[in-house]
Amino acid sequence: MTTTVDDAEPGAVTTTVSRPRPRRALLVFLLKRVAITAGLLLGVTIVTFGLVTVVPGDPVTANLSDQALNDPAAVAAFQEKWGLDQPLYVQYFQYLGNLLTGDLGISQQTGRTVADDLFQYVPATMELAIPTMVLALLIGTGIGMLAAVRNGRVTDQLIRVGALLGLSTPPFWLSLVVLYVFFYQLGLAPSGGRLSTDFSPPPTKTGMYTVDAALAGQWDVAWDAAQHLILPVLVLTSLTVAMLVRFVRSSMLEVLQQDYIRAAYAKGLPARVVFRRHLLRAGLVPVITVSGLAFASLLSGTVLVENIFGWPGLGQYAYRSATALDLPAILGVSLFVALVYTLVNLTVDLLYGLIDPRIRLS
Amino acid sequence: MSVSPRRLRVGAIALAALAIASSTACSAGGSGGNGDGGSAKTLTVNTSFVLKTLDPGRIYEATGLTAVHSLYDTLLTFEGSDVSKPVPALAESFEASPDAKTFTFKLREGVKFSDGTALTADDVVFSLNRLKNVKASPAVMVSGLTFAKTDERTVVVTSATADPNIPVVLAMPSTGVVNSKVAKEHGATDAADAAKSDTAQQYLDTNSVGSGPYVLKSYDPSAQVVLETNPNYWGDKPEFSRVVLRNMDVQTQKLTMQRAGGSEIALDISGKLLEGLPGSLKTSAMQDTVYFLFLNADPAVSPVSSNAKFNQALRAAIDYEGIAGLYGKGAAPGAGLVAPAYPGALPAEEQSKRDVAKAKALLTEAGLTNPTVKFNYPAITYKGVDLGTVATKVQGDAAEAGIKLELTPQPLTTFLDEMRTGKMALGFTPQSLNYPVADSLINNMSPGQATALRSGWTVERADPAVVAAGKKVTETLDLAARAAAMQEWQRAMNAASPYVVLASNSSTVVASGDLTGTDYTAAGWQVDLAAVGRG
Repeated sequence: MTTTVDDAEPGAVTTTVSRPRPRRALLVFLLKRVAITAGLLLGVTIVTFGLVTVVPGDPVTANLSDQALNDPAAVAAFQEKWGLDQPLYVQYFQYLGNLLTGDLGISQQTGRTVADDLFQYVPATMELAIPTMVLALLIGTGIGMLAAVRNGRVTDQLIRVGALLGLSTPPFWLSLVVLYVFFYQLGLAPSGGRLSTDFSPPPTKTGMYTVDAALAGQWDVAWDAAQHLILPVLVLTSLTVAMLVRFVRSSMLEVLQQDYIRAAYAKGLPARVVFRRHLLRAGLVPVITVSGLAFASLLSGTVLVENIFGWPGLGQYAYRSATALDLPAILGVSLFVALVYTLVNLTVDLLYGLIDPRIRLS
Repeated sequence: MSVSPRRLRVGAIALAALAIASSTACSAGGSGGNGDGGSAKTLTVNTSFVLKTLDPGRIYEATGLTAVHSLYDTLLTFEGSDVSKPVPALAESFEASPDAKTFTFKLREGVKFSDGTALTADDVVFSLNRLKNVKASPAVMVSGLTFAKTDERTVVVTSATADPNIPVVLAMPSTGVVNSKVAKEHGATDAADAAKSDTAQQYLDTNSVGSGPYVLKSYDPSAQVVLETNPNYWGDKPEFSRVVLRNMDVQTQKLTMQRAGGSEIALDISGKLLEGLPGSLKTSAMQDTVYFLFLNADPAVSPVSSNAKFNQALRAAIDYEGIAGLYGKGAAPGAGLVAPAYPGALPAEEQSKRDVAKAKALLTEAGLTNPTVKFNYPAITYKGVDLGTVATKVQGDAAEAGIKLELTPQPLTTFLDEMRTGKMALGFTPQSLNYPVADSLINNMSPGQATALRSGWTVERADPAVVAAGKKVTETLDLAARAAAMQEWQRAMNAASPYVVLASNSSTVVASGDLTGTDYTAAGWQVDLAAVGRG
């Protein structure tokens, strides 16, 4: 992305001073990104197809019983059903042809269309990712800024140690500890799943139980679903906060050392004004990039946490598909993840301009 | 000081929210099953899902078998944990011909599917033919059988070869009878080309069309399967009107059971994980899994592993008691290839024993000094046991006798794939039976059979005594005599086969103290959900 500067404020990047028409520039930018995304997705299908064929392991072995493997008729039936008896390039072009009509194929694991699977598992993961990101941004940004402002003092040292511990903690271990403390010892939250077994899922609107139950007026279900979010969100938030704190702190420290910040203080501007007008805007730009990637990472699968908490999300689906060499499902997840990262990057790029008006798209 | 109405309103809302939160938080301490501990009629079954489908024609995985057994009736079944003798289910009686090739089943009268339509012999024949022709994993069990009806209540099953175990096969959940009319409407077919033309799986995954004690309420292969009682069930109504099979990590299962308020079951707490469970919980276990090594008998693959003296030396080097200890409660040192849960297992006094001096002497006889062999195993945790830990123990035991094993852990699919090529010198794997007939092992593991060939064990390379022992099993039609023949076959295998049985381990049902009928069964469905009651 090219950045231009329409404001000669110190610290800003100076590349060109032209001022393109904003709407046209945005349109061109978006069209370019759509083309890049299409190419990227095509690349993902090629790479995924290639990888699945070079990794050791045979989908037939992974999916049929030992006895069935000894029966040539059963093996042939499986291969024919899933098109595995065709040359790889034929399989690939068939897949590509179906993809153009929006058909992602059928999962060998679930027997459902991959699209149906994604519609079911992605919202479950979203239900974890959204509150996690909201909490992580609030907590991580706040603590990171505090550490930057208190640079070198005890508070800063404690925050840095805490963040390091958070980053070093294996998610599955933290999940087990949280379960032990909050479920087993204190009884403050349920152990796993999306709902207690006494409840049935609410009518599907968004796929997120809390939202769907609220929309249906099933407040007891919504409350129960919200309680089931507590522990996995707690674990994911802890890990995301640890990452954000380090970025926010270092980003803020960098800005604090800029001459224009010192000049602003020297001019006698109140600290809150310096913070809001200069520090926050400049310091948050790299944080947006990191937050975007963190969100994409949460959406693309938090396998271990989902597994420990029995959360039927995209991470579990991806893991199951990979271990069973379920090619349609692996491709579906790969495409989705690539799309998420592309969209997140696009959003981040657009947000740059909003957060820091000095940056314009061209 | 005055208080504004807005502040009052906010305060009241906050207090109300706090009250709700605290009251619900108390109940949240349970696992979510039956927090009231008394009146609810939901049975929660926690298990690490191994689930691909609920289509009886395609069912093979543990979680699906448990559910399908409660959704679909079979001609025969097993009661409780006794898998030695099938008992009537849809068939009120059956007769076997003396040559064990023809079995005639008389259907129970008045059986209806869950939608109220009558179950007929046509439905039985359709279901069994579909199972055979769909050619999914369970089809092998019925591949040599033909099915026909002679009247509205009589079904005849014919086998090309003598097979006294056919009644057992017809108790398996995959032989569950579907409502053929409804199934056909949704793409099911029993035609010869059903492997290609049958499209009913997606419908049968989300709708049950059987006559079992439960019907399927919802299906999510990653999260939970919900069953509800079938109002048209012909037998005794189950105690629980609702059963939720819930996907849960093993560690979480243990924590959940330790806090269980009532009416909960866990299916994967075994071995070391059983330690520390409260005495209020009920545990039922059966040793139905055997863990064994296989050595390649093909000298072209490995001159070391194919050496009969080396084979015997490795057997003598292993500390079987120590290995059983790694599995924890419910395990035992290896005896034969048949797990103790099944008829035909070798008695405990025939468990293998260690003799390091003998191992060293055998190596000398073999002319091998510090032989080295690559040792492959799947890097997985199976029934609570990390196979890597066991492999490391085997490596240590072998080293004491002068044998060097190079550990080669592999992802499961890679291991299975490589094992099929027959190029593995030494491997390690668990084995459970697909259905409770131990002599199915003869068709897999005897010399020249498919599994044996993966270890390069051809008939030509085998001791004729082993071949003869296997032949005797298949020729024996009386079930008690067949079990005795199986024992002889295992003794012959222990003396001269490429398999070394390390240990047998238990599968377990852990249930809350208020439940009855929670016996583990090695029949395939783990626990009979419809038989679970409150005591």
